[in-house]
Amino acid sequence: MDENVYSEIADLALKGSGQSIEPSKSYLIEARLAPILRREGLSTVADLVSVLKARPDTKLAAEAVGALTSKKTRFFHDRASLERVAAHVLPERAAKAPDGRLRVWCAGGSTGQEAYSLAILLHENASKLGETPVEIMSTDICARTTAAARSGIFGHFDVQKGLSIHRLLAHFTRLETSEWQISHAIASRVGVRTHNLMQSAEGLGRFDVIFCRNVVTEMAPAARARVILNVARQLADGGMLVVDSSESIAGLIAGLEPSRTVRGAFERNVDTDALTIAA
Amino acid sequence: MKSCLIVDDSRVVRKVASRIIQDLSFEVREAADGAAALEACRDAMPDAILLDWSMPVMNGLDFLRALRREQGGAKPVVVFCSTENDADHIGEAVRSGANEFIMKPFDADIIESKFAEVGLV
Repeated sequence: MDENVYSEIADLALKGSGQSIEPSKSYLIEARLAPILRREGLSTVADLVSVLKARPDTKLAAEAVGALTSKKTRFFHDRASLERVAAHVLPERAAKAPDGRLRVWCAGGSTGQEAYSLAILLHENASKLGETPVEIMSTDICARTTAAARSGIFGHFDVQKGLSIHRLLAHFTRLETSEWQISHAIASRVGVRTHNLMQSAEGLGRFDVIFCRNVVTEMAPAARARVILNVARQLADGGMLVVDSSESIAGLIAGLEPSRTVRGAFERNVDTDALTIAA
Repeated sequence: MKSCLIVDDSRVVRKVASRIIQDLSFEVREAADGAAALEACRDAMPDAILLDWSMPVMNGLDFLRALRREQGGAKPVVVFCSTENDADHIGEAVRSGANEFIMKPFDADIIESKFAEVGLV
């Protein structure tokens, strides 16, 4: 790929989503933009750059930014923390939920596997939660990905990674296309929205638990801190931010401390307004 | 080292599955139909069995039912691996004693994920 084309796209991604695309990973650009190129009738990424330069800040630019982000996810990924949240954290908070309900946010939730896995666990742990409703929201920067998550339809390979056959049979129906549709009972627990984590999430409200796993890993350091700050500001009092067990956000934000109850989780120990990016 | 018996009438499928399962640190044996698989089990019960559905001589479901009646036949973890992958077939396999079910076509990631579901890896 031409160096100028690479830097135009890398710059678009960095400004749009905070994503850092290393020169050694420029092959990702072609692979991830291919569907947009096809749809727009463009033959190369260079053509797309020309179109975007002629008309910046269009819907197309936002679509390209969304398409460039990783969509990688799977059912029950890093399941220990999901199980801990479903079986302990939420039931413990249920007793003292101020407005009688609990809210969970899967930030950067891609095609929805994380949110639906949690919904399945809540279904299985229903007796521990009693009558307290739990609302799960999954957001992603990419509108196409969000639409896929909302459909609740998953392919042959997706449903075989992380899902046991018992859970597949219990919560999905096979479609004539050989894809699998999640049941209404599980889907009705999950709401899906398009949202860019670089922007304030105030409009989404407060959450008791926020999952933001494998999202900031591919971001530039400055964007990483900004995104974690935006996300942490939506934590309800006593709420918990869960990142992946393989990543660390320790030290990024002043006022965010590792949780004592859940490994890989963080808690806000100051008022929301006092959260700041650590110097 | 854990052992796995791969039962499939397709030599190609057996070969592909063998490589994948060997990479998961299993000692692998192969059988081309249910009757040959039953003999292999009487020889030595494996820890895991990857089992095709439609095969000549004895199909996977008949093998599974026979296996579960054998002495020590409750021990192997049986992972069905079949193109018969509608909910009815899957349900029948599970009711007949299968522990997991892989829908063909599969890849290494699926086998590893399914083996993990039943505690084999």
